[in-house]
Amino acid sequence: MDQNNSLPPYAQGLASPQGAMTPGIPIFSPMMPYGTGLTPQPIQNTNSLSLLEEQQRQQQQQAQQQAQQQAQQQQQQQAVAAVQQSTSQQAAPGASGQTPQLFHSQTLTTAPLPGTTPLYPSPVTPMTPITPATPASESSGIVPQLQNIVSTVNLGCKLDLKTIALRARNAEYNPKRFAAVIMRIREPRTTALIFSSGKMVCTGAKSEEQSRLAARKYARVVQKLGFPAKFLDFKIQNMVGSCDVKFPIRLEGLVLTHQQFSSYEPELFPGLIYRMIKPRIVLLIFVSGKVVLTGAKVRAEIYEAFENIYPILKGFRKTT
Amino acid sequence: MASTSRLDALPRVMCPNHPDAILVEDYRAGDMICPECGLVVGNRVIDVGSEWRTFSNDNATKDPSRVGDSQNPLLSDGDLSTMIGKGTGAASFDEFGNSKYQNRRTMSSSDRAMMNAFKEITTMADRINLLRNIVDRTNNLFKQVYEQKSLKGRANDAIASACLYIACRQEGVPRTFKEICAVSRISKKEIGRFFKLILKALETSVDLITTGDFMSRFCSNLCLPKQAQMAATHIAHKVVGLDLVPERSLISVVAAAIYMASQASAEKRTQKEIGDIAGVADVTIRQSYRLIYPRAPDLFPTDFKFDTPVDKLPQL
Repeated sequence: MDQNNSLPPYAQGLASPQGAMTPGIPIFSPMMPYGTGLTPQPIQNTNSLSLLEEQQRQQQQQAQQQAQQQAQQQQQQQAVAAVQQSTSQQAAPGASGQTPQLFHSQTLTTAPLPGTTPLYPSPVTPMTPITPATPASESSGIVPQLQNIVSTVNLGCKLDLKTIALRARNAEYNPKRFAAVIMRIREPRTTALIFSSGKMVCTGAKSEEQSRLAARKYARVVQKLGFPAKFLDFKIQNMVGSCDVKFPIRLEGLVLTHQQFSSYEPELFPGLIYRMIKPRIVLLIFVSGKVVLTGAKVRAEIYEAFENIYPILKGFRKTT
Repeated sequence: MASTSRLDALPRVMCPNHPDAILVEDYRAGDMICPECGLVVGNRVIDVGSEWRTFSNDNATKDPSRVGDSQNPLLSDGDLSTMIGKGTGAASFDEFGNSKYQNRRTMSSSDRAMMNAFKEITTMADRINLLRNIVDRTNNLFKQVYEQKSLKGRANDAIASACLYIACRQEGVPRTFKEICAVSRISKKEIGRFFKLILKALETSVDLITTGDFMSRFCSNLCLPKQAQMAATHIAHKVVGLDLVPERSLISVVAAAIYMASQASAEKRTQKEIGDIAGVADVTIRQSYRLIYPRAPDLFPTDFKFDTPVDKLPQL
């Protein structure tokens, strides 16, 4: 599994500096705590709808991650020297050596994960760890929390919405208002729109794994009602996250300097709408310091967008 | 060679003594005069003024002018077609009284929608007495959006209303969305959406609104004296400077400032009156007023004559 490049196991499957994602290898990289939430998806188990298998698979992944985390921590220490030489972020003196450890103690979610962008241009050596060397003075220490995940899946067969609505519990169907069955489950608390073509939209989950689990549960319900439902092309379409920078922000100043990205119309909406180009994320920034990030396909984009905007927001902190 | 030199020489009239001088045309006498030496170079130039004077009390049906309306070349691509007028004699009507020759339509089918929109814009602008320069700017914006075709197929009325809003902003006299809503059939939400779409399509941006832009209009609509208006402007400016009401819309701050100033002067206005003029709910005015009330003594200008002293201002 780790013989493909000269990369150590944790970097494998992510962007190699040569600039190509190695395809065909199951992406159980340890830096992604919720590996199956990424696209491309692992090919196995797509058609089996057994929830037990799904949960076992998730546990396996987590066990693998933990094993690889420990191996990685040792290599992190070796890579500290390389970190200090990396040119990708502004290096803080000396303190950067501490940050990789810091990131690890925080369940690995603080690091923006560059593996998602294959064209990672930074000229770092292959030994550089995945956590970019953001020095401690620059990292915000704030992690955006995911609030909503919207995903779609194809059940692969035509469905009769009327029978589903009549026989399933917690299903509503009003063909005059909307041409889909709206079904809700309590655990994870989600809502699904099931269309007669067999396609389904699942919303309301708070993490990628929960979204996948919920989609499987809905597919199970449909299967139990007698339709030959499959689980094809599960894809996360949108992720919404929110966080708080804990200081008030001068939106007027921000819209003046970042005119081509921002739109601030207090008559229309009290927040500033910032359309970041790379990654393509829309941020709603409010005077109180709360930030909502949306439009992401993977978790890393949300983190990266927040790390990008945080220094800008610090520059527009209200001083009174 | 000879022909070209003749073509060259033909249209150019010049003073023999000063060949480089640009001739001045005196239209009343029909002369072309050299400004250097005063020589009359060309004479009997055709007069382009109107043939006769027309007065407003003459009967309107017989307009003897033969030149027609002024062209609008910027906006309608130089419409040079001719319309055949209604017949006047008895022979132009058939037995039922309908006119025989009916072709008065389809003069500019390509720009029909645009001309319709211009008419709509003029109607909307008339309702709130907007100046001609704002209307012209709106027409230009609409023409740009129309020619870009990125918003083709959308309701032209919505685009026209949004263009009007943008033109007011660009001319430095912004109107609130609610004011534009009042003269248009489009909802505030739609105007806001199209406003953002047009800004993106034309790749322009507008300045942020300030409280001072609205003061004179609201205060004169409420018939407040000049002193109260200046006090309200000062209060609103101080409020924004001290950032006492960060989360409220600027119009609410304006309304609360007007309320405070009017309550301190002789001409008091109720919250409902101010809310009607500004398009703000009176509970909103109340909320904003509560937030600025504690700092009331600092907000008034120093030379303000209080009819009601600061401590007697109503506390809601």
